[in-house]
Amino acid sequence: MWRTLENGVREFIAGKESWAAAAVAALDCPGFMLDVDEEVIADEERSCYNCRYRRWSAASFTCQWRPQQG
Amino acid sequence: MQIVISIDDTDNLESRGTGEIASLIAEGLTANGWGSASLVTRHQLLVHPDIPYTSHNSAMCFLAEINEGCLEQVISFAGDFLGRESAEGSDPGLCVVSLPDLKHAPELIAFGRRAKLEVITMPEAYQLADRIGAHLSEHGGTGQGIIGALAGAGLRLWGNDGRMKGSLKFSRETVPAAELLAHPNVDEVRSITGESVDALDLVRLGEKPKTVLIDGASVLLVSAAEAGEGEPLWQTLHRKELKDY
Ligand code: SF4
Repeated sequence: MWRTLENGVREFIAGKESWAAAAVAALDCPGFMLDVDEEVIADEERSCYNCRYRRWSAASFTCQWRPQQG
Repeated sequence: MQIVISIDDTDNLESRGTGEIASLIAEGLTANGWGSASLVTRHQLLVHPDIPYTSHNSAMCFLAEINEGCLEQVISFAGDFLGRESAEGSDPGLCVVSLPDLKHAPELIAFGRRAKLEVITMPEAYQLADRIGAHLSEHGGTGQGIIGALAGAGLRLWGNDGRMKGSLKFSRETVPAAELLAHPNVDEVRSITGESVDALDLVRLGEKPKTVLIDGASVLLVSAAEAGEGEPLWQTLHRKELKDY
């Protein structure tokens, strides 16, 4: 589901419309934090697409969470 | 007189969102007796490697009706608020457009639409603000948020971009369209496929229904529900169906 970019950041390879995969990816992730309401787009609340740590890119998003962020 | 207030780039990964800051500015405007504000809307701008943003690149915007002579106070209040309340590492920008004083409105709208497609520079934003008579100011960091702030104002004026911050609250899950229309933030209930929605038609409300801006109106979009007899004909859209607004 992920590939690691040159700078070490993980990019979600399934793009912006893979609702089920984005929900699965967030399921057991300790970093998940629900974003503010206006940025929540997925109907499954726990989804990378709704996470504060996803950073949208043209084709998908990267995950900005680092374990030390708690 | 009517004004548009638009802000961008006030948050970081842990802070409160730009939408909440916009709401607090709107509340402050009312609390100070300068006027009253309308709903806050969110406007998506281009996501591109050359544009710095936290996790999404969106501007937040609202219209306000203010008393004559209050414009300078409102600008200074909003600017101070952004300077004080924006998150560490953010690059907040503020745009305030007085509609009676706005020159070349189509240029502002075109700028907003371009900011959804192209990378735009700060000097270009300042030049346009100067030409059209809009206030544009930086309130920390690189001030890069001025680009999104100006674009947000243009998109709000265009009236065909953005969705409301927050959601509509009703006490029941199923209500007639007429009751939805009586809500102060709903101008129209419209079917996504273009069929007309009768005032007496029942609408099933999904989780956190939101309006979107279409033709300058705050529109609650609905789709056909799988209805049995006596059941609602319509339902509000799912969140994912609203993501491109
Ligand atoms: S985006 Fe959020 S939920 Fe998804 S992997 Fe990153 S931290 Fe976890």
